[in-house]
Order: sequence, then C-alpha cells, then structure tokens
Amino acid sequence: MKILIGISSKKFSEPTLDVGMRIASTLNSSTTILDVGKKVNEFSYKDVSIANELMESWDLDRPGVDVLEWAYNYLQSENYITKSSIDNSFSKNLLIDKGIGRSEVFLKGAAVTNLSLILRNGNIIEELRDEVQSFNYDLTIIGGSGRRRMAHDLVQYIDSSIFVVNNFNRKQTYRILLAVNDSKGNKKAVKFAVRVAQAFNIEVDIVSISNKEKISEKFHSASLRAEKMMRRTGVKSKVRSIEGDLVNTLVDAARDNHIIIMGTSSQSPISKFFLGSKPLAVMESCNCPMVIVK
Amino acid sequence: MFGFSERSISNILFWITRKKWLILSFLLSVSFFYFPTPDGLSSEGHRTLIIVLVALSLIVSETIPLPAVAMLILIMEVVLGVDTPDGVASSFMSDAVLFIMGSLMLAVSIVHQGLDKRLALLVITITGNKTWRIVLGFVTISALLSSFIGEHTVGAMMLPVALALIRNAGLSTGKATKLSSVLLFSIAYGCAIGSIGTPSGGGRNAIMIGYLAEFGMAEISYLDWIKMTYPMLLLEIPIVSLILWKTFTPSQKTMDSSVRKLKVQVAKTGKINANQLMAIGIFTLVFLGWIFFSPTFGLGIVALSGVFLYLSFGLINWKEINRNTNWGVILLFGSAISLGIQMKETGAAFWVAGQTLTYLEIIFQDVEIVRWFVSVVVAGLLTNLLSSAATVAVLGPIVLDMGGNPVITGFMTSIASAFAYLTVVASPTCMIIHSTGLITSADYFKAGWKLFIISVFLLLVVSLFYWPTLSL
Repeated sequence: MKILIGISSKKFSEPTLDVGMRIASTLNSSTTILDVGKKVNEFSYKDVSIANELMESWDLDRPGVDVLEWAYNYLQSENYITKSSIDNSFSKNLLIDKGIGRSEVFLKGAAVTNLSLILRNGNIIEELRDEVQSFNYDLTIIGGSGRRRMAHDLVQYIDSSIFVVNNFNRKQTYRILLAVNDSKGNKKAVKFAVRVAQAFNIEVDIVSISNKEKISEKFHSASLRAEKMMRRTGVKSKVRSIEGDLVNTLVDAARDNHIIIMGTSSQSPISKFFLGSKPLAVMESCNCPMVIVK
Repeated sequence: MFGFSERSISNILFWITRKKWLILSFLLSVSFFYFPTPDGLSSEGHRTLIIVLVALSLIVSETIPLPAVAMLILIMEVVLGVDTPDGVASSFMSDAVLFIMGSLMLAVSIVHQGLDKRLALLVITITGNKTWRIVLGFVTISALLSSFIGEHTVGAMMLPVALALIRNAGLSTGKATKLSSVLLFSIAYGCAIGSIGTPSGGGRNAIMIGYLAEFGMAEISYLDWIKMTYPMLLLEIPIVSLILWKTFTPSQKTMDSSVRKLKVQVAKTGKINANQLMAIGIFTLVFLGWIFFSPTFGLGIVALSGVFLYLSFGLINWKEINRNTNWGVILLFGSAISLGIQMKETGAAFWVAGQTLTYLEIIFQDVEIVRWFVSVVVAGLLTNLLSSAATVAVLGPIVLDMGGNPVITGFMTSIASAFAYLTVVASPTCMIIHSTGLITSADYFKAGWKLFIISVFLLLVVSLFYWPTLSL
C-alpha cells in the first residue's frame, strides 16, 4: 500500500502526521510526505528559481525544506521512524529535482527506508492530484482545518481513498463508525475499516442507515458480512440499524468521537459534479475525521 | 457514458473546473464578436479590443501558460483579420523585444558569476552593523543596481544576503519577524523604485520607448531616460527606507555578530576572481554602449552584443542561458507589443482613449487631470493586478492617444507601473520575497499603501516642476 500525507505548515500538520504514520506503521506501507509550497506566477518563476539556487550556495535551505525537516524530526521524536544506523554523508540538506515540478528532499544526517519527503510548488489541488495520479497512491491523508473545499475537490477528482483528518485529538478515544450498504465499494470500505481499527486499536460501530422503517435485506446482509470480517480479524464491533436520512444520521451518530469510514458513491462523475454525493455531504457536515474509500 | 471511462469523465470535469476562465474568455469573445461595432470604432478596432479582453483575462487568471497566451494573441490577430500573417510577424519582433531578451540573458550571465557574495560584502562594508543603516544600504544598493541590470536579477542576488543576515542573527529563516520583513521589503521596494532609473531597469521601459518610436512620437535615448527619471529614484531612496523602518521597526537595533559572521562567510570564497572582473567589465561596456551607441544601433543590439561577449569569453554557456531565461515572458512581451501596435493602427486605442476622456471628464472636469489619473493612478493600480510590463503594453497605446505631450504621458505611465508595492504578483521581486514564506499577502499593504500615495505625489511634483526644465 502507498500512502501520501499532504502537509502545508508546521502549525496544523501534527494530527495529519500522527494519523498517517499510525496507519503506515500498521500496514508497513511506503509513505510519502508532501509539502505543497506557494504558487509562483509565470512572470517570476525563473527569477524565483535563480534565487533558490543562489540560496543553496549560501548554505540556506529553500522554502519548504524547513517544513519537511520539521515533519521528519516530529516523526522521529514520536518514534514513528527510526534513523538507519548508517547516516548519509550529506553536509547539508539536499533537494533533488525529480522532474514534473517535484523535488525530493534528503536531510542532512537523516536516512530512513520507506519514507520520501517531496516538495512541490503550485496550486494545492492540482499538485496533490498530479502526485496521486502519477505515482498511484492508495490513500491520501490531508488535514481538515479550513480545507473542506480542497477535500471536496480531491474526493471528486483523485483515484485514491481519502482520509480527512478533521479535528483529530490524540487524547480522545475514538471508535470507527462504518457506514455499510449494498454498493459495490462496500467491501473495500469494510477492509479499510479493519486496517484503521488495527492501527488505532479501537472498536467499530457498523451502521446501516435507511429512510425506510424496515431495513432492506441487502443492507442487513452487508452488515452481517462486515461483522463477520471484523470477527475474523479480531476487531471488536457492534452492529446497528438506524432509520433516517443518511447524511444527518451519520453526522449525529459520529459526533466528535468517531472516525467515519464509508465507501465512495456509485453515482457517475457527472451526477456527482452537478448534484454532489452522500459521502461529500457527510464530509462537509461532520466534525470528526473521515475516510472515503475508493 | 459515450464510451468514456469514469476516469476520463472525471479528468474532463477537472479540466473544466481548472480552465473555467479560458472557457469564459472564449464565450465572451464570441459574444463580443457578434455585438454591433460601436460608433467611431472600426471593425478591425472592435476585433482588436476583443483580443485585448481575452488576453487580459487569461493573464490575470493564469489559467493557461503565458507562452500559450502569447501564441493565442498572434493567432487571433490573424484569424480575426486584424492584420496579415506577415504584418503580425513583423509587429511581433522589434528592438524593444530584442532589448528585453538581451537584458534577461545579461541578467542570467551576471548572476552566474557568483557576484552575490561580493555584493553582500559591499553592502555591509558601506553600512556597518546598525540595522537602520543596513536597511538604508539594502534599499540604496537594490535601487541603484536594479536601475541598470533589472530588478529581478538584483532581487534574486540580494535575497540570500538578507536571509544569511537573518540566520546569523540567530533567527529562523522559516519564521517571519519584523527584521525579516524590513530586510526583505527593502530589497523588493528598493528594486521597484530602482527599476524606473534607466530603460534596462524593467521590460516595460523598453516597451514604452518602443511605442514612442513606433508611433513616430519621440526617439528616447538611454541617457534621455536617465535624465528624466533618476532624480525621482534618488528622492525615493530615503523615503522608502524611512517608511519601511517606521512600519517594521525591528527589536534588533544592531546586527554586530550577524554582520561579522557574514564577513567571515564571504571571506571564505576568496578574493574577486578574473571571471568576475571580466563579467563586470563586459557589463560596463554594455552600459556605455547603451549610452553612446543605442541611438544608432538600438538598445536591443547593444544588449545582445553583451550576451555575445559573455558567451564568447566562456563566462557562461548557452545551456545555462537557455535554462534560466524566461522565454515565455519574452514571447508574451513580443505579442503584447504586437497587440499594442494593432491597437494604435486599427484606431482601437484612440477610441478607448476618447471614451475614457469623455466619461472621466464628467467626474474630473479637466482633461489634464483625466490624463494624469489614467497614466498614473490607473497604471499604478493595474500594475499591482496584472504585472508592470503587461500594464504598459496594454495601457501604453491608449494613454499615448489621449492628447497632451506623449513623452510626458508615456513616462508617467512607465514610472507609475513601477509602483508595485501592493501585491505579490506586481513584480518578480515581490514574488521572490513572497516565495520565502516570510512575507504574507497582507504584509504588502502595511507599508505599500503609504509608498503608493507618496510615489504618486512625488511623480506629480517631478512632472510639474522638474520635467519642464528639460528640453524633451
């Protein structure tokens, strides 16, 4: 599994890194931490690039490297990564141009397997989408603070699953709220819920929500299949059926102490573009972390 | 759906959301095309104005790459029948474009010599260790140098000097402080005020000289330009330094250890080498060529001669020039000048000028004030939205057609387009300091609005009391 963790500042990125690295550690995934720096307009990009090159000759880091250096040090201080025994021999932080507007950062004295630090500049949606499409990530993890619109666009336009780390509190004991139904993507969502439950060592509430008074047979069997999967993988779970509107009911049930996990909508892209979708509506209203599994 | 996979449809929808300005520009241009041509405007002028609107919306929205905008301008000029293919091609290339191209290449050649360390030593040797003197020194050196070798080059060379001083002062180069703001703005604003000093200070100056010559209004030499603008540049240096100091007064009043560390750092690079001396020598020759030979050979040819010398003496190789020259900007300047010429020739500029005068005269009651308002205030504000060169390229033909002395109006427009104090996109130097992450968009307003007002006032004073004493 390939995980992409998108960060953009030191201030709001700790929860995003925490969540991303917990999942990555459990799944032994290859992880990329991406910082998208400010967009430079075309009148000036050559001048900015010359200024950046000159900065290197002064032993000064290019803008953005400090954020990735901070992220690396944070992961180390929280024991998410351990430096390899043989340090690299760089005398200073190095930025290697990897083409298509992305550079890989190699930090002075730091070497670790399965972790890449990537720097890009530009529009955050376009750069994240390009990174995901070009390198086939399975999961993209982004912060939730003030980024509903960004998460909304990413859910619409990228192929990977998306974890929006909205209001994540390390001290809070979370449960997973897994919304099941009879859609094609349901199985993937259940599998992902198992992985997250294992990563955080938490329990799962399996809910099937329907407008009708009596829950349909298909929804019921989807719940049972999910429960069976949890049992087989050793994850504790409870099954609930709730009558009501999916979006409001799920948001109310989740409050701020659940991680919502649901599959992507089976609507066509055009319908989603004009009418929106249930997962997007949940994401816009919820006050807790949420995963949309694709 | 229609045989497209979900991913393809998603890609198309993404393209639509990202390119909405392009689609909107296309739809607007089609609808304007079918609008009846206004009275007093020729059919070609009508179509030229459609191209201007499309180009402006695409430059502001940055929805497609600048070279694509440049090509679209040329394509539309031919397809809409504004001019013949040969006519468009010849209006695309002029001495002004050669000058911009040569100046950008010269800048790359100079930066390549590693003169930034020498520059650092020069600044701190002159200023000493008092912070206010360092700020004054940064503004002065940035202004004087950028007037000759272009603001973007000086901005790029001065940035590491400022960041090294900040780091040496024990501050993080990733965290904004008043010291970082005052030093970085002294580079950006110093370069902005310096860029008015000579034609090589900024591409827009060359565009205005090109227009004045092309429209048969005046032949402005390099020295004529200096006589007109340098006094204002010199007056602005203490004003900018003072406003920046008052706005971002840092707690560090002296930078003793920081300056000492910088001297040690620069000393490690050794004495000035032969290549650096030769690079300075060639640029001095180019400068003298601009002063003494440009009336005969043109500014562009002199600039290209300098590039030729840099390449011939092996001070830089072509690969390096090719990699670091912004060809997209050169293409756009060429197209913008071509569009400006079409605006003049089709009467579009005259029509817009007439309409502007008619409507604004109702407000201001005096044609002189209207002319001043458009060439100074509108140019100054547009430059903060568009970029200075695009402002002069589009506004130039209009203001030159507004009557009065075209030299005065042209210079006022060119100088006002250097008032790039308010936004990140206003000039490459503003973008360079913004890219460090130490300056936010809101910071530009803190000192920028004061400088904008003072600069407008100063330009008025210079144009009323100094320029009439010159015989231009």
